[in-house]
Amino acid sequence: MQQLQVTDLHVEFGGLRAVDGLSFAVEEGEILCLLGPNGAGKSTTLDLICGKTQPTGGSIRLNGTEISQMLEFRRARLGIGRKFQVPSVYRDLTVAENLSVARSRRPGLWSALTRFSLSDVRETEGILERVDLSSKREELAGNLSHGETQWLEIAMLIAQDSRLILMDEPTAGMTIQETEKTAEIFRSLSDSHTLIVVEHDMSFVRTVADRIIVMNRGAMLAEGSIEEIETNEDVKTAYLGH
Amino acid sequence: MDVIANQLFAGLSMASIMLMIALGLAIIYGAMGVINLAHGEFVMLGAYATWALQTYAGLGILPALPLVFVAVGAVGWVIEKVVVQNLYHRPLDTILATWGIGIILQQAVRLGVGAESRFVKGPELLSGNTEIGPLIMSNYRLFVIFFSIAVLWGSWLLMTRTEFGMKLRAIIQNRSISECYGIESKRVYSITFAYGAGLAGIAGALITPLFSTIPTMGTGLVVDAFLVVIVGGLGSLIGAATASVLIGEATALFSMIMNDTLGRIAVLAGIILLIRFRPRGLFPTETRR
Amino acid sequence: MTSRFHYDLVALVIFTVVIVFGVPALMNYDGFELNTFARYLALAIVSMALALSWGTAGLLNLGQAATFGMGSYAMAMHLKLRASNGLPDFMGWNNVPELPLIWMPFESLAFTLLAGLLIPAFVGGLIAIFMFRARIAGVFVAIITLAFLVAFQLLVIDQQGLTGGQNGLTGLAQLSLPGWTVDPYSMGFYYLVAGCLAVALAVGVYLTHSKFGLVLRAIREDADRTRFFGYNVATYQTAVFCISAALAGWAGMLYTMVLEFASPTYMGVSFSLAIVIWCAVGGRESVIAAAFGAIIVNMLEGRLSDVFVEGWHLMLGVIFVLVVMFMPRGIYGLLSELAAKLRRAGRQGNAASIDPSSKTQLETGQEQ
Repeated sequence: MQQLQVTDLHVEFGGLRAVDGLSFAVEEGEILCLLGPNGAGKSTTLDLICGKTQPTGGSIRLNGTEISQMLEFRRARLGIGRKFQVPSVYRDLTVAENLSVARSRRPGLWSALTRFSLSDVRETEGILERVDLSSKREELAGNLSHGETQWLEIAMLIAQDSRLILMDEPTAGMTIQETEKTAEIFRSLSDSHTLIVVEHDMSFVRTVADRIIVMNRGAMLAEGSIEEIETNEDVKTAYLGH
Repeated sequence: MDVIANQLFAGLSMASIMLMIALGLAIIYGAMGVINLAHGEFVMLGAYATWALQTYAGLGILPALPLVFVAVGAVGWVIEKVVVQNLYHRPLDTILATWGIGIILQQAVRLGVGAESRFVKGPELLSGNTEIGPLIMSNYRLFVIFFSIAVLWGSWLLMTRTEFGMKLRAIIQNRSISECYGIESKRVYSITFAYGAGLAGIAGALITPLFSTIPTMGTGLVVDAFLVVIVGGLGSLIGAATASVLIGEATALFSMIMNDTLGRIAVLAGIILLIRFRPRGLFPTETRR
Repeated sequence: MTSRFHYDLVALVIFTVVIVFGVPALMNYDGFELNTFARYLALAIVSMALALSWGTAGLLNLGQAATFGMGSYAMAMHLKLRASNGLPDFMGWNNVPELPLIWMPFESLAFTLLAGLLIPAFVGGLIAIFMFRARIAGVFVAIITLAFLVAFQLLVIDQQGLTGGQNGLTGLAQLSLPGWTVDPYSMGFYYLVAGCLAVALAVGVYLTHSKFGLVLRAIREDADRTRFFGYNVATYQTAVFCISAALAGWAGMLYTMVLEFASPTYMGVSFSLAIVIWCAVGGRESVIAAAFGAIIVNMLEGRLSDVFVEGWHLMLGVIFVLVVMFMPRGIYGLLSELAAKLRRAGRQGNAASIDPSSKTQLETGQEQ
């Protein structure tokens, strides 16, 4: 079943067409990887889906609902989660508090007023163990190493439990072992979640991707399985340049 | 018609005073992102310095201007070195610290000079009025209007045509890269702050014949000047000039239609609306972020 | 339940015991002294209200004095009507022929008490919706609230016939509750104010440790990130503004009862910034610390302004600048650093264990 349907999406920044007539669909439970050279519009595409950037044209439908004009928090409530390229965690909150904020099943004011700050964390005990942060739950997120910060943000997205998760370079700055573990987590997430991943690390993409879209200059250049992409002439041209 | 023309002139006169005060504030904010709530007290110091020079040295306002500029600039320089320089990475705290400095300056003057209001004579040379038909304009106010335009022009030249201005703009764009190229940002900041303070001092000197000089005179002025800076677009000199004319004229006209207080309230409400819908002001410039 | 919550509960209990039992004993149950101290306690409420919006949510509200003033005038209008036979005296002097419509409901005590809480909350909410829907943040919140304060004070002074203008409302009656006429120099009144402060602090402590408080802290750090978790940031910010305004209004009502008059001075820029000082000196992260800050600064003011009549404000300015520069987290920051040191010393053997607070101080010190 199609979960996300992007049709003829456009956005311009002062004359620069960052995304230019992009269309694609994402099936429920698949892992879609976005590839492309720098400036191809991959992160911008994620920004458009999660609402960080407003499109100048085109439509984005989530489970049939048009979301391209919605505010960010409404899209989040409809089940879109986002991990940013620069790890965005709350540095002055503890690891446990970060998770509690992320655990936003009931994001309304009333429910927040009637519950204690960490009341939602118990539901997510397992997640911290999964990313090896359970010994650091009282630590401030600002004191974590770069790799741990990446893990924390991934853990926050798991806690948020969105049906569609947008990941912007999740393995940046990770060691090989950590990258492998991330791949493992992503595979297990795809049982109940859909993932769109922007990534440069090809071995990682090979392990996790169900399908790949290669972007260039804001539009789709190629689409298909990893084998199809690796043999595609257009893709070689775009990467090597002529 | 006569009333309106005279009211427009009053508005312009008010605008020129606000511009003089706001310029220093705009330069300081634009350059270092510091909101200087002590700025009103710099104006007050300028006024008292003028009063002291006239009372004890017999100096008129005009010859006193350069001395006042240097004196208040020096005070600003010291304050920048001792307090503000340590707070550049905490912008909200600079609001608080400079406000505390404002209290200190105000109380120091109250203790040293006294709380009663002081009067300064305007220059003899500019004592008369210029009349064009029904429009009666005080020569002194005319002088202040032209002087403020000259200061605006001078500041603009300083920022765009001198090596100092180039260094300053480089720092605004990117402080750490500028330092790599050998620009001493600390020094540039100190001088900029001192320059802004000196301008406030001149403004204080010029308003002495128009306002009564009391230790608390700065408090009201700084709020207005601040709004001028925000409405103009943070750090933009042209914006500050436009905004001061707009606010000055709007206040003058509303005051005529309603009364002084309600006019001021209406202008404040308008400013709040404007900030709401154009938070970056009329002339947004690239400022530090 | 976190350890911080436990500390806050202990602090709350100690604080309440001290102000309810300790202070009256220290003052030898002297009515005049207790009235003075009740004044500090009322100001402590408005300081802790600011800590909620500024410390927790990072919204520096420089217009807190306006909402305080609304509460203060609501109570004063009621007490003025009680003191007058028919038309209040100042209305006569201003040629107001009959009681204006908006004064009429203040005949009722219940209405007055509600209005003193709800009018500030409503106005605070309006300004908040206005700002936060447009995602105004940081310095601009300070400017807009400051401009509102200036406009509001001008309006109150201008509308002499309604508000008494520059003179404010004087010649007030004492509040009569069913079966109790509240004499501001009595023990009963002191307990009333102390009780109000204790309740306000309990509310504040609960809020800061609720999920609401946590989300506000998240918003303070990164509002955009918080939106992507599905929180409507503007709603949270508006809510904390309303709550803070209601508490300020409550403080204002008590303040009028202490002073037995209401004055536009307490809607001024200086008063509003004084609230900021108290909050900063105590420590804006904790409502209890902010309340303590208000009490300590006002006590100092009370003592020192007798000794150095003129120099006091100068000293206050110096203290404030020093606090901002070297103690950005206020007294609370000093204490929690000390506590962290003690804790570290107490478990030398357990070197591997984590001490979150030690680095916290350095870092939060540089925030904002």
